[in-house]
Amino acid sequence: MPVKKRSELAKEYDFKAWRDLTPMNVSVGTMLHNMTGSWRFIKPIYEDKVPACQNACPAGNDIEGWIKLVRRGEYERAYWHLKREQPFPTILGRVCFKFCEDACNRVFLDDSVGIKQLECFVGDQVSPSTPHPDLPEDNGKSLAVVGSGPAGMSAAYYGKLLGFRVTIFEGLSEMGGILRMGIPNYRLPRDVVAAEFQGLKNMGIELQANTAVGKDISLNELCKDYDYIFLATGAHASSKLKLEGEDESHRIMSGLALLNRVALGGEVDLGNKVLVIGGGNTAIDASRTAIRLGCHVTVIYRRSESEMLAHPEEVQEARKEGVQFRFLASPEGIELNDDGTISKLVCCEMKLGPADESGRRRPVKKHGTLFDVGADSILTAIGEVPTLDYLNSLVRTEKGIITVNEGLKVDVDNDGKAGIVAGGDIIGIPHTVIHAVASGKKAAIAMDCARKGVDFAQVLEEIAIGDGPAISFSKYMGWEPVNPVRQNNRVVVDSEKIVYDYFKKVRQVEHKMQAADLRKSSFEAYSSSFSEDEAQHEAARCMQCGRCTECDNCLIFCPDISVLVKGNGHFGYSIDYDYCKGCGICFTECPRHAMTMIDEELAIGEEG
Amino acid sequence: MKQVIKGNHAVSQAVKLSRVEVISAFPITPQTSIVEELSEMCANGDLDAKFIKVESEHSAMAALVGASTAGVRTFTATSGNGLLLMHEVLHWAAGARLPIVLANVNRAVSGVWNIWADQTDSLSQRDTGWIQIYCESNQEVLDSVIVAFKLAEKVSLPVMISYDAFFLSHTSEIVDVPDIERVDKFLPHYTPEVKPDFSDPRMFGGFVDTDYFYEHRYAMHKASLDALEYYPEVCKEFKHMFGRDYDIVEEYRTEDAEVIVVAAGTITSLARIAIDGMREQGKKIGLMKLRMLRPVPVQRWQKVLDKARKVIVIDRNISAGSGGVFSSEIQAALYSLEHRPVVYPVIAGIGGRDITAADVEGIVSYALSNDKRTYLPLCWGLKQ
Amino acid sequence: MQRTIQIPRSIMTDEELLQPGMASCQGCGASLAMKLALKGLGKRTVVVFPACCWAVFVGSYPYSSLQVPVIHCPFETAAVVASGVYAGLECRGEKDVVVMAWAGDGGTFDIGIQSLSGVAERNENIVFVCYDNEAYMNTGIQRSSATPVGAWTTTTPAGSIKKEPKKDIEKIMLGHHIPYMATASIAYPDDMYGKFKKVRNIVGTKFIHVLSPCPPGWRIDPAKTVQIARKATQCKVFPIYEVENGKHQINIHPESDIGVKEYVQTQGRFRHMSEEMVSALQESVDRKWEDLLKKGNET
Repeated sequence: MPVKKRSELAKEYDFKAWRDLTPMNVSVGTMLHNMTGSWRFIKPIYEDKVPACQNACPAGNDIEGWIKLVRRGEYERAYWHLKREQPFPTILGRVCFKFCEDACNRVFLDDSVGIKQLECFVGDQVSPSTPHPDLPEDNGKSLAVVGSGPAGMSAAYYGKLLGFRVTIFEGLSEMGGILRMGIPNYRLPRDVVAAEFQGLKNMGIELQANTAVGKDISLNELCKDYDYIFLATGAHASSKLKLEGEDESHRIMSGLALLNRVALGGEVDLGNKVLVIGGGNTAIDASRTAIRLGCHVTVIYRRSESEMLAHPEEVQEARKEGVQFRFLASPEGIELNDDGTISKLVCCEMKLGPADESGRRRPVKKHGTLFDVGADSILTAIGEVPTLDYLNSLVRTEKGIITVNEGLKVDVDNDGKAGIVAGGDIIGIPHTVIHAVASGKKAAIAMDCARKGVDFAQVLEEIAIGDGPAISFSKYMGWEPVNPVRQNNRVVVDSEKIVYDYFKKVRQVEHKMQAADLRKSSFEAYSSSFSEDEAQHEAARCMQCGRCTECDNCLIFCPDISVLVKGNGHFGYSIDYDYCKGCGICFTECPRHAMTMIDEELAIGEEG
Repeated sequence: MKQVIKGNHAVSQAVKLSRVEVISAFPITPQTSIVEELSEMCANGDLDAKFIKVESEHSAMAALVGASTAGVRTFTATSGNGLLLMHEVLHWAAGARLPIVLANVNRAVSGVWNIWADQTDSLSQRDTGWIQIYCESNQEVLDSVIVAFKLAEKVSLPVMISYDAFFLSHTSEIVDVPDIERVDKFLPHYTPEVKPDFSDPRMFGGFVDTDYFYEHRYAMHKASLDALEYYPEVCKEFKHMFGRDYDIVEEYRTEDAEVIVVAAGTITSLARIAIDGMREQGKKIGLMKLRMLRPVPVQRWQKVLDKARKVIVIDRNISAGSGGVFSSEIQAALYSLEHRPVVYPVIAGIGGRDITAADVEGIVSYALSNDKRTYLPLCWGLKQ
Repeated sequence: MQRTIQIPRSIMTDEELLQPGMASCQGCGASLAMKLALKGLGKRTVVVFPACCWAVFVGSYPYSSLQVPVIHCPFETAAVVASGVYAGLECRGEKDVVVMAWAGDGGTFDIGIQSLSGVAERNENIVFVCYDNEAYMNTGIQRSSATPVGAWTTTTPAGSIKKEPKKDIEKIMLGHHIPYMATASIAYPDDMYGKFKKVRNIVGTKFIHVLSPCPPGWRIDPAKTVQIARKATQCKVFPIYEVENGKHQINIHPESDIGVKEYVQTQGRFRHMSEEMVSALQESVDRKWEDLLKKGNET
């Protein structure tokens, strides 16, 4: 941008004789010849960093980026930008654990930003059938995705964006894995899931339902027909209580089995009183499903409420719908009637001992505190594990899950050509949808690196976000960020780095949902998404941590007029290093830590 | 038009005729009636000027530094301690090359109060860079103020007009007050070379470091010396318009004088009477009326005083530990003459003590009676 | 919603009346204050400097970093020289002009107070700005009557820390019945900009007291200049308010109740401050705030 440097305007004077002095001793020039930049030992640069929300997201969702686009009213661009790091906003915007909101720096001011709600809004703006703008040329390699849950969907999506020819194999008749078969309709409507699969299909991804690998087609065959295989069959086998009688009643089933049945539209008779054993999301989903089937439901959990793995908001909603909770109790024995119905469940009171390896306090039986609870049905939801018999000897497992290396690559003896990678609930990552999506993304990149013969570990370093383990697909692809500013993808902007004085308290837009007594009798979705007004209001609350917003603080506060607006349609500012004294006021007053002070000796390219 | 007016009134008339634009003054005896008269003139519209009624003389001069820099004609009047209080700002005004005119009523300075005629006040300011003129009569006071503006604006240095307390300030004399239309012809509107201009903003009076300060001061010194040339020219012009003749010095019966009396202020009137008397007695006595003290008119003084064998300098001021200021100036100026006359420094009339013609005669006799060269003065009329 | 500072960008990027190259220290509060003031006052401003930091770092002959006419004057005469300048410009027929005396705390509270008082009593049409860095900083950090209790300076060294409270220049100026008296701070630039814009249209003596932290004098990191100025207002040590024709209005209401201790512990100059001094400071701050609240409600 051709702007005359101010230092070029500087002129020095040298009066030779007394008669050359100006009358009345008036000045003739400016002080521009005094290049105070020579005083510096540190200098400011503009450098976007990772906001706390993006750092907390397992997928490294560039939340600030798409929120910025929402604020500008560029909904379609926001949608595609979001999808760069997290392909399914309509899904995650409804069911995500929202680690981002927990980490949101705004929590220390008033409330977190309603990121999940905003993501849902963005997801709803564009039909998944809209042609994908980033589809590349075919890279000549093929990828078989085994399992159509979120991990598989993600690997397929990213695999397609990397040029692979992709087929998703799903054993059931319905696509979606846990999304379709586990999470109830009132949380994640099935037409939303279906729409996402329509989107994947429109991208050119082949969907093959009713094709179970290991039954309808062997893994060996896949290994011969495909260059890469992504195993993502999830964890659908419920853990057993290991109590006598557990398998001998038609009224005792896993919570997941109930959810599956309801998901497929089957009839269920649970009777009146239902006990749900467990404290995770499956337990809560099962309880709220049972409520909707007209039952009285009590959740029995061996630890206390704060240790529950289910999301606290889910627990609250369950409670409002009438689910009862009995904490610090664990089943001891099942008494059945002759006809297989349940007589009672014998439980023992628990107390909390010291922490176990998960960091949570281990529950310990309190002697002599047995009690009986009557029930018509018992639903067990104490954890799900993968079913891996389709793997036969091809793939090594340990403790029920597949061992993978850092690159998600599976050690295989196989006589096919395929490189096998695994992800989602069958490897040792937390059982959440977003973790599954993240692992699918990572797997796709790992396979692409293998295809290119590039060191994946090196690439991981380069595309890591914040503290990790999230990685940036955009960085891998060389796609530009929303701000045309130097990026630092490793430094995280936490609350200590935000200058809260520059933000006014504004409460979060209320999440509108149907009243509990109305919604508990229906499997329809009960919360409404944002209106455009609400979305704008909420998006405006985003403090845009670590990312320049051209708020002009640096421009206003520089005591040496050395922060200049780039202008001419260009984003951001430039520092006039001829005069900048390196005082650091701009850096300190940047509300969102979008500047960095670096050593004066470091060369940073043409400008800050 | 001829009027019978006091010296202070002559000043205010001169200020009005000179169409001064900003006045700033603080009252001090015996200058107060200048302030009062100017106030009235401004109030009733006789004088279209802004009068800043400051709270001290220091502020009075400072206000004029501001106004003069802004580019308008400015004036103040003070006396004695008031002048001393302005001291820092007097230096500033000259260093800033501002054509401010100040009328100073020569009054004694304190510790211990005395409000009567004494020249110590203005003389103690002789190093400030101001041009200094001393007046003998109310007519001269009026005329000198008008001429002062022209001179100041020509050389860009401030000018101080001094005259004796009470003897002139509060004594009525016949003064021919000129018409303003004629004064307008002599003294046009002040148009400074540089003034604050928003389209070409400059800094006035900034920090000057060792590279240029010497040259800055030299320029002041040179400008002051240039006044030695310009002043007679301006006075010639004045004579042409108004008929009254002024110069750097005024000589009275010096053509064949063997003894020349040097004095400034009202002493000169008495000296004239004494000299006339002594001339009748056959004594060859003359008078050099000292008008301009700064710049030092070395050549002019030498030219006049070289004629005589004896030079008497009568000082109505004393610099403790040294003597009269005029005599030290005269002695220094004569030093480069090959044949220096004998100088008789005399101090008289301190603190308004009356000097008569008889005193002057006595002083002359004293000088005639001895040939002793001395630096330290004779204190005439001291109670001892 | 973000609170971005409400100064239009066009004001910040239009003609710059202050050029870089000034010899001010890194992080100088005073140079930032002048930058903001000139944004409000505009091009038709004459600045009068007495002896102070600004008079030195603005530039030495023949250079000036300001793009408005500047007139230097003797130390104690800023107010009256400014009034003289205004009188002269008025005589010349210049309309819509602001003459601003820009003095440090020395040239306002101490040596300059006489001419300031005279000008204020006469209600001369100037703006007098005191950029207050709370000591004679230009001559190397000596105490002034604006130095707060507990502060170290070279003339109130450890063992003889300043025990007298800060002179209340605001009350003194109000005692002159001037039409406008305000405090402003570099930490609240939109408020400061608004005030300087406002005074263009007020006739009479306008006094603005600007808090201007000084990194070497206050013993602070230059990067924290604005942050500490903000803290001063948040802790109510430097309340931002204005008095227009006798009517008080508090402009910035701190959002939380923070004690002065949080302010003094940010600066090295308060390192020797005793507990009693902190309490004394807290008490005087509380008293002044109560008084302002009361006066603000009276209007």
